[in-house]
Amino acid sequence: MKPKAVQLKPSARPRHPAHPESLDLRSQSLVICLGPGGVGKTTISAALAVHAAVIGCAVDVMTVDPAPRLLDALGLGADSSEPVEVQLEGIAHARRGRGAGHARLRALRLDPKRTFDSIVARYALSDAARDTILENRIYRNLSGALAGVADYMAMEKLLELAANPLTDLLVLDTPPAAEALDFLDAPRRLLELLNSRAVSLLGAPAGLFRSRLRIVDIAARAVLAAFDRVTGLNLLSDIQSFVRSFDGMYEGFSARAARAQDKLRAPDTAIVIVTTAESSRIAQAREFIGALERAGLRVAAMVVNRVIAELPDAAELSSARIAPSLKRKLKRNLADYAALKTREEVSLSALRNSLPGGAVLMVAPDLGREPRTIADLAEIGRSLRPG
Amino acid sequence: MTLPRVLFVTGKGGTGKSTVAAALAIALSRRRPTTLADLDRRLSAAAALGAVLEDSTTVKVTGSLDAVALTPRAELEAFIERIVPIRAISRRMLRSRTFGYVTAALPGLEAFLLLERLRIMAGDAALEDRYLVIDAPASGSTVELLSVSSGVKGIAPGGTLNRLADSVDSFLTDATRFGAIVTMTPEDLAVREALEITATMRERLGIVTVAAIMNCVPDLLFDTSELAALNSLGGHARLAVRRNAAHEQAALAAPRFAAAGIPTFSLPMMFTPAMGPAEVEKLGRVLDAELLDR
Repeated sequence: MKPKAVQLKPSARPRHPAHPESLDLRSQSLVICLGPGGVGKTTISAALAVHAAVIGCAVDVMTVDPAPRLLDALGLGADSSEPVEVQLEGIAHARRGRGAGHARLRALRLDPKRTFDSIVARYALSDAARDTILENRIYRNLSGALAGVADYMAMEKLLELAANPLTDLLVLDTPPAAEALDFLDAPRRLLELLNSRAVSLLGAPAGLFRSRLRIVDIAARAVLAAFDRVTGLNLLSDIQSFVRSFDGMYEGFSARAARAQDKLRAPDTAIVIVTTAESSRIAQAREFIGALERAGLRVAAMVVNRVIAELPDAAELSSARIAPSLKRKLKRNLADYAALKTREEVSLSALRNSLPGGAVLMVAPDLGREPRTIADLAEIGRSLRPG
Repeated sequence: MTLPRVLFVTGKGGTGKSTVAAALAIALSRRRPTTLADLDRRLSAAAALGAVLEDSTTVKVTGSLDAVALTPRAELEAFIERIVPIRAISRRMLRSRTFGYVTAALPGLEAFLLLERLRIMAGDAALEDRYLVIDAPASGSTVELLSVSSGVKGIAPGGTLNRLADSVDSFLTDATRFGAIVTMTPEDLAVREALEITATMRERLGIVTVAAIMNCVPDLLFDTSELAALNSLGGHARLAVRRNAAHEQAALAAPRFAAAGIPTFSLPMMFTPAMGPAEVEKLGRVLDAELLDR
């Protein structure tokens, strides 16, 4: 039995209504798009950014995806690690009144290596300390391909861009993730590595600090030493010097990571999970929701991308004056896409049932073509509707 | 056509990579025993065949098809247990947070061990005359995974890892043993990414792509004159145009791969209200006839 609707006093109203109508971009300062690979996360990020600019916001959009797809669509080159103005002429022109003159869209592509280098340069206590880090074998590999560093650097860049008072909204596209927290949790993981007392003690001579070492640290040290010998990596000394070279810089990193965590939980930050209606992606998106909730992060919206647009009416066919053979083909075509639509609806209702409180489910209908221009992105942004 | 015993299936996310890997495994298993190795934690290729897997366990899908899940973590554990023969210590080690940090700082170690495991499995497959189909990561992460052994050689100039990296490299570049299959859908971006990944694998890694598979191709239903007659039927016309456009886009891709010496095969769009093991089997039959019988 469903409880009767009760009129709540304003003070007793829950902070987030059960089903908000849609995501109001004007009241956000940060939108983070998370999701599995291949769902069009980059497209949705760009579409949200273009739409926000169209409705009068000053917007920055950043992609961390190595493939410069967003930049393609935005008409930018691959090497845009600083924000570049995107032309909105012919799209935002209809907008008049408040905010019209102030609206703008800038896009950039994160370069994790360059960002990491500049952070090291900013926090290093001396030029010598900086060079020690930049030349360290671990650092060179860490700042290159290792997953997690790009995520951390995106957070850093995000704080830098968010500090710009002329920007109303920052939209962040994230790397395809297997786990929801891969991205959001990256600063903590990197800091734990840098702050790991045990790691820095690994290289300490036996006897020294022994009283502070737990038995498992001693075991770890013995095994790591064996590991090092057998593998030929000779990593221990490098790891130790890497961690040591961050001495004194840790405070700066840690303060910024804490600010990034605060920013993620701020009331004007919206975490948006992007997915498609394929059952395997929906399952993954539901895992994302669960992981975020366990981490105390609120999902503001789910966007299901590329849903099949409204199908035409079958009745139109019976009255149409066309050859019977063509009519049969059209009926078959309609039935084919209706089957796909049924498949999609099964997935969507599963998603609706697991939607967290306060989150809105939105669908982005398939354009029927790949988005190539700002106008296409604006169209997707405009056509986002409650699902 | 003659295929190497190990087939590495990759492609842009959303192109049905896992479905294609599963269908290919079904097709191959009709000729010879086959193992489907899933590098995706979610085991979606095996799930497409209705099999439920747990980490690093093997399940029988049919009489001649096994599925196995490979995870970097399990490979790291196996490696540590190999080099630290005292189990009590290795177990303790793996549970320690410190060790977690250190392995996180070892760039690509886990990924490398995964490749090493594939090499060992390939050796077993050759001995047993089996096929090994790998549901690999999406093309964005594939190069990262496949080039990890050269990275390992860079940081470990001598020792066990260096020797292992050499044998992994020679396995990946041996076209008689290892081949990539790249998946795409009839969309420009997916085709472009498939072309890029094949070029990168060939030029940077010396890895041969044996086939490109165009997934989700609708059959051609309308001819040009019929489309022209649909002007007054807005929604129906758009749906008809959409179907034909996908078909045509698929046809345009084949010559681009042919120019690189890669044959292209099409899988039909399954217009069914569900996508389950029966549909995957049907795709397997198509691959059997199109790809293997050629």
